[in-house]
Formats: sequence, structure tokens, C-alpha cells
Amino acid sequence: MMTEAMLDIENLHARLDDGREILKGIDLAVEAGEVHAIMGPNGSGKSTLAAVLAGREGYEVTAGTVTYQGRDLLAMPADERAREGLFLAFQYPVEIPGVNNMYFLRTALNAQRRHRGEPELDAGQFLRTVRTKLKELDISEDLLQRAVNVGFSGGEKKRNEIFQMAMLEPRLAILDETDSGLDIDALRVVANGVNRQRAPDRAIVMITHYQRLLNYVEPDRVHVLQGGRIVESGDKTLAAQLEQRGYGAFGDAA
Amino acid sequence: MSAVVDFPVKTEARPYIDTARGNIGEPDWLAQHRRRALARFAEQGFPSRRGEAWRYLDLRALEAKPLPPTSSLGPASRANLDTIGFPGSAHRLVLVDGRFSPELSALSELPAGVWFGSTRAAIEARPDLVEAAVEALSQQRDQPFASLNAASFSDGFVLDIAPGVALDEPIEILHLASGEVSASFHTRNLARVGADSRVRLIETFTGTGRYWRNNVLALRLADRAALDRVVMVEEAEDALHLAIFDAVLGRAARLTSFALLLGGETVRHEAVVHSEGEGAFCGLYGAFLASHHQQTNIVTTVDHAAERGETREVFKGVAAGRAHGAFQGRITVRPGAQKVDAHMLSRNLLIGRRAAIDTKPELEIFADDVKCSHGAAVGDLDEAALFYLLARGIPREQARRILIEAFIREAVEIVEDAALRERLLARLARRLAVLEE
Repeated sequence: MMTEAMLDIENLHARLDDGREILKGIDLAVEAGEVHAIMGPNGSGKSTLAAVLAGREGYEVTAGTVTYQGRDLLAMPADERAREGLFLAFQYPVEIPGVNNMYFLRTALNAQRRHRGEPELDAGQFLRTVRTKLKELDISEDLLQRAVNVGFSGGEKKRNEIFQMAMLEPRLAILDETDSGLDIDALRVVANGVNRQRAPDRAIVMITHYQRLLNYVEPDRVHVLQGGRIVESGDKTLAAQLEQRGYGAFGDAA
Repeated sequence: MSAVVDFPVKTEARPYIDTARGNIGEPDWLAQHRRRALARFAEQGFPSRRGEAWRYLDLRALEAKPLPPTSSLGPASRANLDTIGFPGSAHRLVLVDGRFSPELSALSELPAGVWFGSTRAAIEARPDLVEAAVEALSQQRDQPFASLNAASFSDGFVLDIAPGVALDEPIEILHLASGEVSASFHTRNLARVGADSRVRLIETFTGTGRYWRNNVLALRLADRAALDRVVMVEEAEDALHLAIFDAVLGRAARLTSFALLLGGETVRHEAVVHSEGEGAFCGLYGAFLASHHQQTNIVTTVDHAAERGETREVFKGVAAGRAHGAFQGRITVRPGAQKVDAHMLSRNLLIGRRAAIDTKPELEIFADDVKCSHGAAVGDLDEAALFYLLARGIPREQARRILIEAFIREAVEIVEDAALRERLLARLARRLAVLEE
């Protein structure tokens, strides 16, 4: 049986609105059930790749294709991508004063459920699910009574991203530098949260600068992104090599 | 009957001259007040847009199609009173088309020392209060509509609280328009709060049809008196709402006012505060949401004449469609009014390219030991926040509304009463659903 790739990126080129070309021909295939790590130095295009996949404005794809579950991902607006099961954990989660966290999450979840033709969750059902998942991520319930990310510590914001992922149960999760700014305890909590969400029908792409997250979440594949291209791919041992030799050892852009 | 007029009359004032004198049987002192007020209005006419106070309000539609007051009355319907008002309100006074409606009102027993009733009833029972109400703003040059109001008022409410009375239950006033008469409704009101007394006022302005509501409220707070007023303006689509309150604050008095302005083709919410007693507090808050062709103006003037006064102003505005919003705030600190602490903030959100918002906070300071500041901003929806909502699957239109609501919600949070706050937010949500982007 032919398995259809969860995500298939071919020769992706993208530039910023100001004309600077950031992605210069990315090829990447991710199967359901897999965890991939994309590593690269600052300015290699990691966050641009995440932004282009999630549909953020301010980028122009100039060549290439992105196929997600058999569909043209780039043709879908950002909100539709999310309803189709794509999740981006933000490197810098946005503070939204005046919007209650709980309300926000329930609105998002119900938008996705409606899209899938499932009944919306009422407040009680929603709360029960919330409580279970909160415990797993060591998040206090009063955090959810506040406005989205307002007054959250750096670690709380990152945990909140993984909590949202747990609630929304995406098909494809892209974690953009979710490990940055976390101390070792918070990193462990976040990593456990990610591990718990590994599933045969779900793919996870972790974008990171450092190898340390990979000590806790073991990837199936590791890619090195350099100068807007993937210059090396391998299994988890590639991450350890990177740690030893630095990014300079890879690719011609070094 | 054609009236004999022996004073100059501006063209646009003419339709309002004859109709202003239909109050037969009133005492002489009041008739004289009315006559002087009418002369002031007739001479001045509509306020000039060349002057600062009225420059953002376009009244040409009213000039073209005048709305003189009428003596005929629309029928009052009880049906939707509880959806308009605050459910279970113990003290509710209802005005329909500018007149007290005894059958819709619910005036339960009030503590000793409280007088609460219609302005018309007070003319007989408490002329001193009516006189105080009518004198409010009579010395102000740039308030011709307050003069017209004094000349033409049909009714209103009067609340008088003796010293040392704390009213726990709020006093509710509903200002309705039946839609049966196309006219102007001039209402004159007074709330006088005695020393150490406190009260909460909740007022809702709503109706159907084309009408012009011209509401004047005098607030008189004695030493250490506290008054907390929450106003909801949700007038009919074609209605004009021009409302002003004139407050005088005694020593250590506390006035807080919150206004949510949602409906009406033309809405002007004006506050004039005389902070005369040492250490008085004045909190003016509010928000507007204007859409389609609405124009909404918020105008505040706070005059600090005494030491250690404190003023806080926070107003948020949203204009969408072809709406035009404006905030004009002025805080004056007179010579010798030392240690005044005043801050004014106006934050605004523009939705779409055809909407406009003007904001003009001003400080005039003539004392040297004060802490005064102001801030103003007009901006678009936060793109980063919008993308965050989209990235969670919330459809774009819904995401935009969530952010607009959140923007105003921050202002509504100032209302302490949770049930009242929820009610205001529910009205806001209903209004957002028909927002023109």
C-alpha cells in the first residue's frame, strides 16, 4: 500500500516582503508517526520555514510546492490550515489582553470540531478535558482564567503552547524553538508533553538551534538547515555530531 | 397659537421656539427660567463647528430635518422592559419619549432621607431641586442645547439623598423612545448626594424610530459623597443622542462614570466636572463602537479648582465602516490647586479604510506642584495577535471580532458589578455581530 506523506516539501523557495530570499530550495518529506528535528544556526531560515508552513503573512513563496495530507498547503489560508490539523507552537507566543485563555481555546477547539463535522463541546465537557491535560503539563488552572499569555513567564508561555497542542490534537505539529528560554525543569515538562503526543497518525517537526531538546524527545530524523537549504539529513546520531563539530562542519554556506 | 417673541432668533432655532412654550400651569419661577433659556438658545442657535467644543459633530441632517418637541405621547410597552433594563431592579424609573411612565416604573420604598421621582412631580414637591437642575450649565456660553433643554424639558428624574445615607440597591433609569413620535425629547435630571452618602446609578438609553434625545443631568456631590454611574447608550439607528452631565464635587467626594456608547446615528456623550472640594476624585471611563454612518463624540472637561484632586480618564473607541469617532478631553488645573493628580488616556482602533477617529486630549495647568499626563493612540488591529488566533483555526472574521471585543472589554472591566459588566458585554457582542467592516 502506498502511504501518503503527511508533509511533502519540494524545492521550496520563499522570500520576505522586502525581497530578501530566505528559503532557497527546501526538500523534506515527513510521514505520519514520525518525529523530525530541523536544526540550524541563526539566520538559516528555520523560523521562516515554520512561518511559511503556518501561513503567516509577510512571506512570498517564489517556487516549489508543499503538499499536506495530499492537498496543496500553500493554497489554504492560515486558519484553514489549522482547522485541517496543522499546529504551530510559536517561538514567541503572543499576548492578547482582553481575551480569556479558556474562551480562546474553546473557540479554537470548537472551530476545528465544526470543520470536521463533530459536535461542539459544551463548557462542562471542555473543562473536563482541560483539567486532565493541564495536570500532564503542570499548568495551574488559574493561568487559564487570565488573558491569553498575559503575565505568563517565558516557561509558562511555552507550556501553554504545548497544552494547546494537547487540546487541539493536530495531525502535524511544528514546534518553533519551543526549547528556547526554558530552564532544565521546564524543558523536561515540555519534552514529556511532546512525547505523550507522539502517535501513529501524528507527525511532529521540531525546529531548534540546540540539541538539548533532542535528549528528551528522540527524533526519527534530523536535518541540518543552512543558508536556506537542508544540507544534511540523518538519524538521531546526526544531532550528536552537530553538538560536537558545530554547524560549520556542514554545508558549503558555512 | 402664535407666540410673541421679543428676542433675536437664529434660523435653525426657529422650529424649536413655539413648541418650547407648551407648559401651561407651571409656576412663575420656572416659566421665567424657561423663557430666559429659550432666549439664550434662540440667540445662539446651533453650536458652531468653528468653535473647539463642537467641531467634530456634524448636525446638518438635524438642521435640514428639524425635530421639534411634541406634546403627543407614544404608548409604553412593558413587554421587553427586562431585556432592556437590569432584571430585578428594585428602583426603576422609566421615561418614555421624554416623559415619566408610572405604569412602567417600579419605585419600591426607599430609605428615609431619599427623594426619588420624576422631574415633573418635583416641580410641586421639591421646587428647590428642580431649580438646581435647571440652573445647571445656564452660565455656559457654548451649550445652546442645554439652554434649549432648560426651555423645553418635558420631564426627567430627580434623586435627592440626605447626608449619611448609603443606598445599596442601584437606582435605574430607562430612557426609552417608543418610535410613535418623531420628535425631540428634552429631559432634565438631577442627582444630589448628601455628605457621606453613596449611590449607584444605572441608565439605559434606547428606542426605535427617528428622534433627537437631548438629556441634561446635574450631579451634585457634597463632601465625601460617592456616586457611581453606568450608562448604556443603544439608541435607534436614525436617532440623535446628545447628552451632557454637569457635576460639582465637594471635599473628598468620589464620582465615577462609565459609558458604553453603541447605538445612534449621532451620539455625543459629554461630561463637565467641577472638582471644587479638596481631595475629590473623578473617574471618567467609557468606550464607543461606531459603525456604518455613525458619528460618536466623547467630550470631557474637568476643572480642578481645589488641592489634591484626582482625575482618571480612560476612553476606548472603535470606528468601522464609514463611522467617525472623536474624543476631546480637557483637564484644567487652576492656580493654587496644588498636588492635583490627573491622567487621561484615549485609545482607539480603526477598522477599515473609510472610518476615522480624532482624538484630542489637552491639559491646561496653572499650578506648579501637580502630576498630570495624557496619552492618545489610534491604531489598527494587532496583526501578531490576529495571526495567533488564525493559527489556532479561528476563522478570520471571528478572530477580528474577538480582538475588537477584547479591546473594548478592557475598558468595560472598570465596572465593578459583575452582573452589570456581563450585561454590558452581552450588548457589546450583539452590536459586534452587525459591525460593518
